[in-house]
Amino acid sequence: MTTVEFRKDLFADERDDTLHEIGKPTIRQDILGHVTGRTPYFDDHLFDGLLHMRAVRSPHHHARIRNIDTSRAAVMPGVRRVVTARDVPVNLNTLLSLINFGRDDEPLCAHDKVRFLGETVAWIIADTERQARDAVAQVRVDYDPLPHVLDVEEALKPGAPLVNEVYPNNTFDYHGKYDHQKLRFGDVNAAFARADHIVEAEYQMSPIEQAPIETCGAIAAPEQNGRYVCHTNTQALFFSLGTTAKLLDMASSRLHFIGGTSGGGFGGKVDSIVEPTAVLGAVLTGRPVRFTWDRYEEMQVGAPRGGERWRIKDGVMADGSIIAREFTGFFDSGAYMRLSPYAIIKAAGHLPGPYSIPNIAANVFCVVTNRTPATAMRGFGITAADFAIECHMDRVSEVTGVDPIALRLKNAYRDGDMKAHRRVAKNTALIECCQVAAGKAGWPLSADLAAMTSLGGGQGDRALIPETATDEEGRIGERRAGRAPDTAPSKRPTGRVAAGQAGQAVVAVPVQNEDMQIEVDRIGHAIAASHGAPVASPAPTYARQAIAPQRTGADIVPPRPAAPPQAAPVAASRAAPPAYAPPSQQAAPSAYAPPPAAPTPPASPQAAPPAEKPYQPDRPFSRGVRKPGTSPFLSGTRRR
Amino acid sequence: MSLSVETYPTLREASQAIGDRARYIGGGTLLMRAVNYGDQSFDRIVISREIDRTIRNEGQGVRIGAGATMADVLASRDAGFLHPVARVIGGPAVRNMGTVGGNLFAAAPFGDFATALLALDATVQMADGQNQPMESFLSGRDRARGLVVAVTVPRVSEREFRFAKISRVKPKGASMMAIALWLRGSGRIDEARIAFGTMGPTPLRAKAAEQALRGRDLTEPGIAAALAVCCDGLQPADDPLATAWYRRAVAPVHLKRLLLETR
Repeated sequence: MTTVEFRKDLFADERDDTLHEIGKPTIRQDILGHVTGRTPYFDDHLFDGLLHMRAVRSPHHHARIRNIDTSRAAVMPGVRRVVTARDVPVNLNTLLSLINFGRDDEPLCAHDKVRFLGETVAWIIADTERQARDAVAQVRVDYDPLPHVLDVEEALKPGAPLVNEVYPNNTFDYHGKYDHQKLRFGDVNAAFARADHIVEAEYQMSPIEQAPIETCGAIAAPEQNGRYVCHTNTQALFFSLGTTAKLLDMASSRLHFIGGTSGGGFGGKVDSIVEPTAVLGAVLTGRPVRFTWDRYEEMQVGAPRGGERWRIKDGVMADGSIIAREFTGFFDSGAYMRLSPYAIIKAAGHLPGPYSIPNIAANVFCVVTNRTPATAMRGFGITAADFAIECHMDRVSEVTGVDPIALRLKNAYRDGDMKAHRRVAKNTALIECCQVAAGKAGWPLSADLAAMTSLGGGQGDRALIPETATDEEGRIGERRAGRAPDTAPSKRPTGRVAAGQAGQAVVAVPVQNEDMQIEVDRIGHAIAASHGAPVASPAPTYARQAIAPQRTGADIVPPRPAAPPQAAPVAASRAAPPAYAPPSQQAAPSAYAPPPAAPTPPASPQAAPPAEKPYQPDRPFSRGVRKPGTSPFLSGTRRR
Repeated sequence: MSLSVETYPTLREASQAIGDRARYIGGGTLLMRAVNYGDQSFDRIVISREIDRTIRNEGQGVRIGAGATMADVLASRDAGFLHPVARVIGGPAVRNMGTVGGNLFAAAPFGDFATALLALDATVQMADGQNQPMESFLSGRDRARGLVVAVTVPRVSEREFRFAKISRVKPKGASMMAIALWLRGSGRIDEARIAFGTMGPTPLRAKAAEQALRGRDLTEPGIAAALAVCCDGLQPADDPLATAWYRRAVAPVHLKRLLLETR
């Protein structure tokens, strides 16, 4: 056992010490099976007549596929089936489509062109793995190599090769408006002008492979009643199931996924590629099919943590207080988006790290290149940015001569401070961490630094959103047209948002459940109806406003009866936000929130139910059982 | 294309059976990986029942049977000067299976033992009775036919022979570079042989550096000329462990450390 020291003297009044697991030795639930060799992994399900599936992979970073000749492979001994893109019912997907994020951009099997080295072009299903490998070697693919781009900033240049036609600017489109994610807080350019030092540096992180001991794999087999069982080591079972259902155009009730045990994942087993592939093989052959990556595939094709490049520019006063920080970030998403656009939003919310800096600007790009697509890995979106930030803090310390720990203590955020993404910081403990670390390392701290606390922040300007300079640079398509040469945040802001105001709120999908409603008092600002416009009632009660979602677009399902209004407030000290109530369709699209003076919920179907007709969805649920009369719980024959 | 395994009673017969699409299997640490990955360049595997794992003194040298594993080398007192080399190859499982004969054919980044044998000017004995010096054997190994039955290594003192394997993952990483030195002379260097592993398709000698060391002593000014030319004649390549540029940049650094190492 490692010795863990609990500093219960810190934040003692924020805790009731009734923890049952933390701080006590406990046995991992699965360790007994692991150390006795009894844990069944997906690859231990050896079905009778198991077939083996192998992929034909692209040797080029970027090439058009002229022709695929599988005639020789098809007649090789043991070959049961040659599978190409034509056999995939819905051969276009993006991982986050299950939560309505991003556009479908990735085929399970390339058909028109390959966009990274190792991309799947076809599959072979054969009796043995060796026969499958031999047949793969006999598939002749006629490629027309295209120029490729492997560097994020090269990919942003106007003449760069177009990698993925779904994203014609080689960038993810944020909020339908910009080719990057913006973060603006205060006015960095004004702060730079009065700073004593400007510290600038660039940081580059390589892609990192998760390198699990067990490579990604799945075994799928037909069950009865048109159902398929799939044993997999996915880290995201229902994600994989939903993705498989979409790609194979199959009701999810026909898929029986069994997982929960993986020999290491670390984020590399969420991409849901092996599962649809194995199930596709089982569908096409009617036999159990195993599809597993070998080590080379795990390294070359398996998505890593993406490479990132960060440029940081700090404006620092002589005493070490950082008054402005500007970021330009580039995420290398590889050929397809997968989870990278989400990582960038996460990163933008994290900037500028655990520090209270009054002026922040960031442009973060999600760039498409001809590299292996990137995906999740332990804290992705945060780790590389933090590496850059902490390296930069040391650089600032060198330039100003302020002790590195003192510099961090001086700039550390405290409870109640306003963060750049307009959320109030809480449960911050950086100051205490630095003090304890300095104590352990025997690092001298002056008395006033040692007496600092992360409590009691948020005084004066620290709790407020400053007047913020905004710009409209980097609209979608401008960069490729050569009209937006600079990637860094704008030097010539064109708009200003008054202090205490956020910019334009981006309204996401309405919450499904009232307990998912964001606590209004954690959002330290009013939500303006339009860019920079003042709110209707600029009263101190602005924080009590409810956020009602904006509804646009014709394809949104009409509102169902909303949850009943909350009967009682949750806590006396905190006004509970009103329950989600959809505004009427006639409401002006800019009406984000009803004024707090009028708590009456807007007219909704709940008020006037449409008489005797029972509830009927306007279109059938796409992932449920389609066959009328079929029990959704029918599981076919019991597995032996 | 199925894979067949042919077993022969003697090394000589096994040697004759090796053809274009056949591989001889010793410990299998390299060959079985190729089998698992469906290597299309061979479909026959040849095995000999006669395996020479002996290590014994023979005249001025030590004769090591081609079937001797790295673990055998480590267990032999006669091959004591080669223990630092055998010890850093693979992990225990690889050392128990990997043979000296197989290491002679290992492509970069493997073949650390062959690098040491090149520096020591070993002689390779083939199944057909021919003997070849290590250097010409390595330069022609892609076209080589037949089987190696043994290598004979001149016996050197631990003071004369130095070896360094530079890897980024310790203790079991593949070499980013391996350096073997055979330095003769007391005080001044009368003759030097320097071999680099993973600095080309096969282990290679740094002949310009050998020349530059002759008559010098092992001090920083004494070796400066050799360090300056140590990459002459080497052909490092980019691979996942390091770029050619990086290898060229750090080769003099590692050579310097090995030369100035206090004994």
